Amino acid sequence: MTIKEKGYTHWDGEFLNKKLSWLPITRYGIKLTFRKKFFKLLFFLALTPAVLFLAGIYVAERMEDFKFMISEGEMPDFLNIDPAYFKAYFTNDYMLFMMVMLLVFCGAGLISDDLKFNSLQLYFSRPITKRDYFLGKASVIVFFLLIVTLLPGLVFILMKLVFSASFEFLSAYPLLPFSVIGYSLLVTIFFSFYGLFLSSVNKNRRYVAILIFGLYIFSDVLYGIFYGIFRDEYFALLSIKENLKQAGAFLFDQKLPHDTPWFLSFVIIVGFCVLGAYVLKKKIRGVEVVK
Amino acid sequence: MSVEIKDLHFSYGKLKALEGVDLSLPSGAIGLLGPNGAGKSTLLRILLGFLKPERGEGRVLGYNIKTQQRQIRRYVGYMPEDDCLITNVDAVAFTSYLGELSGMPRQEAMKRAHEVLFYVGLEESRYRNLETYSSGMRQRLKLAQALVHDPKLIFLDEPTSGLDPQGRQEILDLIKDISSKKDIQVLISSHILSDIEAVCSYVLILNKGKVANQGDLQALKQLDYSLYELKVKGETESIVDKLKAMECRIEKTEDGMLKVYMPPGKSAQEIFRVATAGGHQVRHFVKSQTSLEDLFAEVVGVD
Repeated sequence: MTIKEKGYTHWDGEFLNKKLSWLPITRYGIKLTFRKKFFKLLFFLALTPAVLFLAGIYVAERMEDFKFMISEGEMPDFLNIDPAYFKAYFTNDYMLFMMVMLLVFCGAGLISDDLKFNSLQLYFSRPITKRDYFLGKASVIVFFLLIVTLLPGLVFILMKLVFSASFEFLSAYPLLPFSVIGYSLLVTIFFSFYGLFLSSVNKNRRYVAILIFGLYIFSDVLYGIFYGIFRDEYFALLSIKENLKQAGAFLFDQKLPHDTPWFLSFVIIVGFCVLGAYVLKKKIRGVEVVK
Repeated sequence: MSVEIKDLHFSYGKLKALEGVDLSLPSGAIGLLGPNGAGKSTLLRILLGFLKPERGEGRVLGYNIKTQQRQIRRYVGYMPEDDCLITNVDAVAFTSYLGELSGMPRQEAMKRAHEVLFYVGLEESRYRNLETYSSGMRQRLKLAQALVHDPKLIFLDEPTSGLDPQGRQEILDLIKDISSKKDIQVLISSHILSDIEAVCSYVLILNKGKVANQGDLQALKQLDYSLYELKVKGETESIVDKLKAMECRIEKTEDGMLKVYMPPGKSAQEIFRVATAGGHQVRHFVKSQTSLEDLFAEVVGVD
């Protein structure tokens, strides 16, 4: 191979605004995630509850049309569209499990692949900072998780208003949109830190995937074992799932699933995020680009 | 001057990595040399804006190394020594992605990626997955990613490491072309002195955190000392000792030859005088061409 006669030409374009320098990282991460085997199926499965709950809102509003399906003509409890309905969507075991599975697919390799293939030096020799790098990587997780949390939540409210053709629902539950936004952000931010933190501790994405899934399950199993032995609700604080459920119940102003102060679950969730941020800061260092 | 540094100091804790480094690098290809621990990586880290110097001032392409690190990295290209890639993509996606990270608009980055991949000779394999690339192709790709945003200055860290002779020559040809015809300044850090000699017109030698020598390569090779190669009959210890006493540096080669580096102001006759006085029979004597290797050994003080 020789140097092409065509030669090298200088580029006379202009560089873009540096404020969005993390955006290509996110776009690229999303693109790569969609290329993964079975991801589209998984994504579809993660959105199935949203479709079912949306159908539930429609059925609840058009009860007259569906009377023939109900034996005594009374509205079933689960079709009462209120904060409990939303809480049921956001904190059910299946949804949380699917979020973890999405995280396994989209988050496991985000940093571990860069560590494995020495790509960090390619990133940090560009005009991007460590903050841009994390923001770009975290936004990949945020993108997928918000699609299954915030987006359906807001669509539920909107559709409820559309189907009922009145604002009565909003005036009855004025804080509901904030609960939806608050819980969606909480769970998304938590899983972003959770995913990035675990992705930075090992260079093997498969191992990271096992860690992401395993830690979630293990924490729940641990809670089950200790609760089984000691019958103490405080062991629920060991479980990632139970802490998220507790926080969800508080944000949707519902009865707490565990007899523990709600703020302890928030402390654990925030504490985990802080720990994740600290580890990420220590593990990813731009200065090591030049070895 | 693309790089100007004055009185640069940097320490890792108690370990002083750079002590009072002054630089003023001209255009063209510049070789950065030094033994391990000399401060080359620290200097590159500072020039790329990853470390803030404790003392001293500096500008890269006119940007302050203390306050304008992002701008520096926008206009500087970096080709790392390590094998590094991004998985599951082809060369076009890889290069354009890195162009985007440099701040180029998406379409422009894509167009430019094709151009630089053509330039480095990867046009036929640009749609192949990177994981199938050979070492030589990966080196070319690393060069392409460093060029994609059209930098004004490019840092090449061991650009020929791990390459076979043909691959090495091809990369060197590219570097020569970039530095001589494309108006891009090149700073090459390498342990392969012959590569530096083949490409660079100016060298900077660091040793123990200080600039041991810098200047035009040809001038440096000729001005500092004269090199003679000789072979003497019998034992060589006594003549070596006497020449060392005259401040000559001596190297023994594997075939029994003595390489004598004469300091300025001393002539070849001094060697014969010492040989005659010691009763040594000189069997072979030739004035040798000094190489960068000789200069490096002289400056750094290693054999």
